Amino acid sequence: MSLMEKYPKEVKQILAKYPPEFKRSAVMPLLYLAQRGEGYVTKSAMTEIARALDITETEVASIIGFYTLYHDKKEGRYRMQVCADLPCALRGADKFLAELCGNLGIRVGETTPDGTVTLESVACLAACDKAPMFQIQSPDGIEYHENMTIDRTMELVEALKRSGQEGR
Amino acid sequence: MSLLEPIIELGRGLVITMKQALFNPVVTVQYPEVKREVRPRFRGRHVLKRYENGLEKCIGCSLCAAACPSDAIFVEAAENTDEKRFSPGERYASTYEINMMRCIFCGFCEDACPTEAIVLGDNYELSFTNRRDAIYPKEMLLEPVPSADMTTPRKTEANVFTRSVPEMKNPKDWESGDTVKVDT
Amino acid sequence: MADVTLTIDNKQVTVPAGTLVVDAAKRAGLDVPVFCYHPKLEPAGMCRMCLVEIGRPMLDRATGKPVLDEAGEAKIQFMPKLETACTNPVSEGMVVKTQLTSEKARAGQKGTVEFLLTSHPLDCPVCDKGGECALQDLTMAHGPGQSRFLFDEKQRLAKQLPLGELIWLDRERCIQCARCIRFQDDIAGESVLGFEERGRMMQIVSMSEPGFDSIFSGNTTDICPVGALTTSDFRFGARPWELNAAPSICAQCPVGCNLTFNTRREAKADGQIVIKRVMPRQNEQVNEIWMCDKGRFAYHYVESEKRLTRPLMRRDGKLAKVSWKAALDLAAEKLSEHKKNSVTLVSGRLSNEDLYNLNIFAGKTEAILYTDMGGGDLTSLVGVSDGTNIGDMGKGDAILVIASDLYNEAPIWWLRIKAAAERGATLIVAGGRAAKLDRFATFTIRYAYGDEIKTIEDLGGKSKIAEAFRKAENALIFYGSDGLGLAGSTSLAAACANLLKETNHIGRRNNGLVGVWPRVNDQGAWEMGFRPTADLAEALKGKAVYIVGADPAGDDPALAKALKSAKFVVVQDISMTATAELADVILPAQPHTERAGTFTSGERRVQRFYPVVPAFGESRPDFSITAQLARQMGIILEGSSLPIVFDFIAHSLPAFDGLNYDRLAEVTEQWPMVGRGDMYYGGTTYENKDGLGAHLSSAAQRGETFKLPAAKNVKPLRPKEGELLAVPVTQLYDLGNTVASAELLAQRIGAAAISLHPETAGKLGAADGETVKISWNGSQSEVRVRTDEGLAAGVALVPRSFGIALREPMTLTVKPAKKVK
Repeated sequence: MSLMEKYPKEVKQILAKYPPEFKRSAVMPLLYLAQRGEGYVTKSAMTEIARALDITETEVASIIGFYTLYHDKKEGRYRMQVCADLPCALRGADKFLAELCGNLGIRVGETTPDGTVTLESVACLAACDKAPMFQIQSPDGIEYHENMTIDRTMELVEALKRSGQEGR
Repeated sequence: MSLLEPIIELGRGLVITMKQALFNPVVTVQYPEVKREVRPRFRGRHVLKRYENGLEKCIGCSLCAAACPSDAIFVEAAENTDEKRFSPGERYASTYEINMMRCIFCGFCEDACPTEAIVLGDNYELSFTNRRDAIYPKEMLLEPVPSADMTTPRKTEANVFTRSVPEMKNPKDWESGDTVKVDT
Repeated sequence: MADVTLTIDNKQVTVPAGTLVVDAAKRAGLDVPVFCYHPKLEPAGMCRMCLVEIGRPMLDRATGKPVLDEAGEAKIQFMPKLETACTNPVSEGMVVKTQLTSEKARAGQKGTVEFLLTSHPLDCPVCDKGGECALQDLTMAHGPGQSRFLFDEKQRLAKQLPLGELIWLDRERCIQCARCIRFQDDIAGESVLGFEERGRMMQIVSMSEPGFDSIFSGNTTDICPVGALTTSDFRFGARPWELNAAPSICAQCPVGCNLTFNTRREAKADGQIVIKRVMPRQNEQVNEIWMCDKGRFAYHYVESEKRLTRPLMRRDGKLAKVSWKAALDLAAEKLSEHKKNSVTLVSGRLSNEDLYNLNIFAGKTEAILYTDMGGGDLTSLVGVSDGTNIGDMGKGDAILVIASDLYNEAPIWWLRIKAAAERGATLIVAGGRAAKLDRFATFTIRYAYGDEIKTIEDLGGKSKIAEAFRKAENALIFYGSDGLGLAGSTSLAAACANLLKETNHIGRRNNGLVGVWPRVNDQGAWEMGFRPTADLAEALKGKAVYIVGADPAGDDPALAKALKSAKFVVVQDISMTATAELADVILPAQPHTERAGTFTSGERRVQRFYPVVPAFGESRPDFSITAQLARQMGIILEGSSLPIVFDFIAHSLPAFDGLNYDRLAEVTEQWPMVGRGDMYYGGTTYENKDGLGAHLSSAAQRGETFKLPAAKNVKPLRPKEGELLAVPVTQLYDLGNTVASAELLAQRIGAAAISLHPETAGKLGAADGETVKISWNGSQSEVRVRTDEGLAAGVALVPRSFGIALREPMTLTVKPAKKVK
C-alpha cells in the first residue's frame, strides 16, 4: 500500500508546508511518516517519496543512511542506541557497550533472538555528562536512559521483553 | 749440476701432489651423478609457493615483473571466485611466465613480492635445446600441492579467503623482523 | 574580474579574484596536495589534505586600514589553526605557507594521510588503481612512513561490490572524498550516488535501477583518487605501468571526444597487442576531461570476431578468401566496365582522407553519403567558427537545441550545454517529446512532430523566446534528426540557418549551426562533397556499387533488396555486415584504431587520431584501398601518406585552408593541469600532448557571399484514426555495428521497443513491457512496448539501429501480438 493511500491527509499536509521549488525539503517528515507503521522505510516507500519530491532514490536512501533514527530494515521492536562518541567514551560508554554486547549475547547492529532489542552505536545524543547513556527508539517514541549501569540496563531489557510479550 | 738433481726435484713435486691428493678433502663432485647441495641463499630457478592449504600465494599483482631489471617476467591476472579459487583474495595470476634466457637471478622479484610467492629455489639445471623451452609457464613454476585435495582452482567456502595480501596483526611485526603472519 | 596579488611560499602570485588558494598555488607552480578537491568540481573541504597556513593583513577595526609594522609593511595575522587551501578564495595581501615552507602545514598533512590510512586496506598489489593512485602518490610524498594505529581496528566493509555492470566499488578503499557524488550531482546531473551512514562508517551507495544508472559513470573512476571505483571492463586487466598509451578520437558520435587508448601485449590474445581500456584525453574545447560510457565501453567492435581479415570474392555463389591483387583486379575491372552506371556509397565513419580520395575516385559518377540527416552543406556555410567553445558560453549567450535528444545522440554536448545553461546561458530546448535537457532549459518548446520548421519560424517572430534568442550576444543552434528523416532534417537545417542569419548569429566564434550527426565524420563527408540521396534504393538498383563503411542492407530490407539487384557490389568495411554478405568483392579495411587520420567533428573541428594497435589480418586503411583501386582504373591518388592527402584537401577546400598535420598536432597549455604526471590534480586523466585539433572556417567567417535555401515547408504527417505517427529516434546504446559487440552494454541496450504514451498504449491494450505487432509501410515486426509519459498521445518512437527499418516519419498500426502460452 502506498504512502499516499495510507496517509493521504498527512502527506498532503506535509507537502503543503513547502513551496514547490523546495519540495525536496519534505523528505524528512515524509520519511518519518513512512516509518510510522513498520518501524522502517520500505523500498517502495523510498521510491514513492523520491518520485513525489523529484529526487533520486539514492538521495532518499542516503538521507535514511545518515540519520540514525531512520531505518531501511526491519529489526527489533526496540532499538537501543548507545552513544559511544569520545566524551561518552571517556565516561566509560565504550566499555559499557562492550559489556552490554556480552550480556545480550549479540554484537552491535544485531538483534536479540526474540526480536525485542536491536543494539546500535550512534553518534552524539547530547547527553555527554550523563554517559553511559542510550536512547530507546520504539513505535511509542524515544526515551533517554542516562547514567546507566549494566545491571540497570539488563533490568530494563527484561522489562522490555515482558512488555513485548504482553503486547503480543 | 748432478744427474740426480732433476729426479729429486721431480720427487719433491710428486710428494706435494700426493700430499694434496691423499690428505686434503675432495672439493669436486661427480656431476651429474652426484649433485652438490647449494647454499641456503643460493638463487636458482624460481618456484611459485603455495600456502599450507594449497592455495597459490601468487595474486597476479605483477610487481615482480615491474621489479625485474631484465623484463623476464610476464603476468596476467584474472578474478577469483569462491567457486573457482586459485589464491586468497580477489585476484590470481592467470598467466605467469618467466623467460629464463633473460633472467639474471638477481632476486629482485623475491623482494618485490608482497605475498612471498615467488622464491628463487635451488634448481640450477636450466639447460634447454629450444628457445621456447626457456620460457617457464606457471604450471612449471608452481610448487606441487601438499595433497591431492588441495589442487587449484578449487571450490572454497564463501567469504573466507577475502584478503589477497596476508594481514599484519600489528605494525610492530615489521620492527621485530618476524616473518609476516599468514592469515588464510 | 579584478586581479589579486598574494604571496605563496615567498612567491608573489597574481591571480583573478575568486581563485582558490590551491589553484593560485598551482598556477604559481606550487603543488598543494588534494584528494577531495578537483578543479572541475566545487570545493567540498572533505579530506583535509590541503591544510596550509593562511595569513591575512591585519585590519584596524576603527579605520578599516591595514595595520603596519615597524618596517611599514602590512602586519600579517595568521589564523591559529591550519586552513584548507581548497575552500579559501584568495584575497589581497594574503600570505600562504604551504607544506614547502611551513612545518605546521607539513605536520597537518602528514596527520591527515595517517588518518586516511587508518581505514584503508592497503591492498595496492591487487588494486587496479595501484600505480596511478593519488593516495599512493601523496602518501609517498607527504605521509608518514608508519602508522600508529592498530590493524585490528581497520574498517571491514564490502570489497567486491558491483554498483552496476559497469562500475565496481570497493568500500574499504574509499576515502570519502565525494568526488564521484559531486560529479554525478553537479556535472552529470544524475544524482545516482550518495553516502550512507556517517563518520567512519560512511560509504557510497547507489539505489538506481539498473545500478549506477548514468551514462557518464566511467568518469567517476577517472577522478576517484583511490581504487574505490573501478571499471569492470578493465578489472585486473593490467597494471597501469604496463600499458602503452595511444592518442585517438572517439568514433561513436559527432562530438569527437579526445581519447587515449591503453594497449598491452596479451597472452590471452595469443601475444597480440590489444586495447585494454579507453580513457579521456584533455581537450578543454571539446570534451574537457570527460567522456561518456558509450565511448568508454563500446570500442569492442574493433576487435569483434566479425572483423574481416582477408579480401573475399564471390565464387560459385560463395565468398572465398583471395589475394588483394585478385580482389582489386576484379573490383577495378567490374567498376570500369560499368563506369557510367556506378555508384559510390560512403559512410561518415570514414576519415577525411578516405573521403577525399573516395570523392575524387567517384569523379563524375554518383557519390552518395549514407545518412538520413541533411543540412551539412549549410553547416559548412554558417557553421561554427574558429575559437568556438561551449565551455566559454554563459550569461548573455543562447543555445537552441531542436529536434535532438543530445543525451542520447551526443552525451558530451549534453553535458557541456547543461553546464553553459547553469553558467547563465539561455538554453532553449525544442522537441517533440520530453528530453533530459528540459530540466536545465530556460525555455522549453514542445511541438507536435512535423512542426519543426514552424517552430523555428516562430522563433524569428515576436515572443519572449524569440527575443531572448535574437538579443543573445552569441547563439548556437544544435539541430538533429529526432523524429525526422532526410527531407525533414534538410528543411530544418535551412530554417535554422536562415534564423541564424536573420539574427546575425553567424561568422563569429560561438555562433552558428551545429548538426548532431549520426556518425563521427558526417560533417567531414559533407565538406568533401558527399551528399545523401532521397531515394537510396532507387540509386542502388541495377548499378555497380562501391560501398565503403556503410551497412544499408543491415538497416533496411528495402536497401538489401536493391543491392541484390545491383550489377556488381564491392564492399569495403571493417567487419562482416549484412551488406558485405551480398557483396561480390569484399575489401577488408581498418578501423580508426589501427591507422592514422583525421575526423571533422560536428563543431567542425578537425582532429587527428593515431594508430593504436597493429592492423588486423591483411586489412588496409580505406584511403589506401581506394587509391589502389583507382590506380587500376587509371586514376592516380595518394595511397601511402596521410599528411600528403591532407595537404591536397587543404589546397582544394577553402574551409581547410592553412591546416596541415603539424598544425593539428599543436598543443597549448590547458587549465586545469590534469596530466598523468601531475599527481595533484591528475590521477588517471590524460594530458593532451598530441594535438587539440583546429576548426574549419565557415563561408560566413571567410566573408563569402552565399544564398541560403528557404526551408521547404513539408505538410506535417497527421495519422488517421487507429494509426500512430511513428518517428525515428536515436538511442544511445543501440544494436548498431559499433555498439552491439560490447557485451558489457548488453543489459543497457536491451531489446527493440517502441515507446508510447501510457494512454496511447492503454487504448491499444498494450501494457509496458508487452509485445505487440506493428506494421508500417508494408513491413511488419514484433516489438516490445515501453511507456513514456514524456510523449505526445498518438506518437510512437521507433529507435534507430534496432532492426526496425523506419527512416522517416510514417504512419504505423499497432496490434496486440498473439499471446504465447
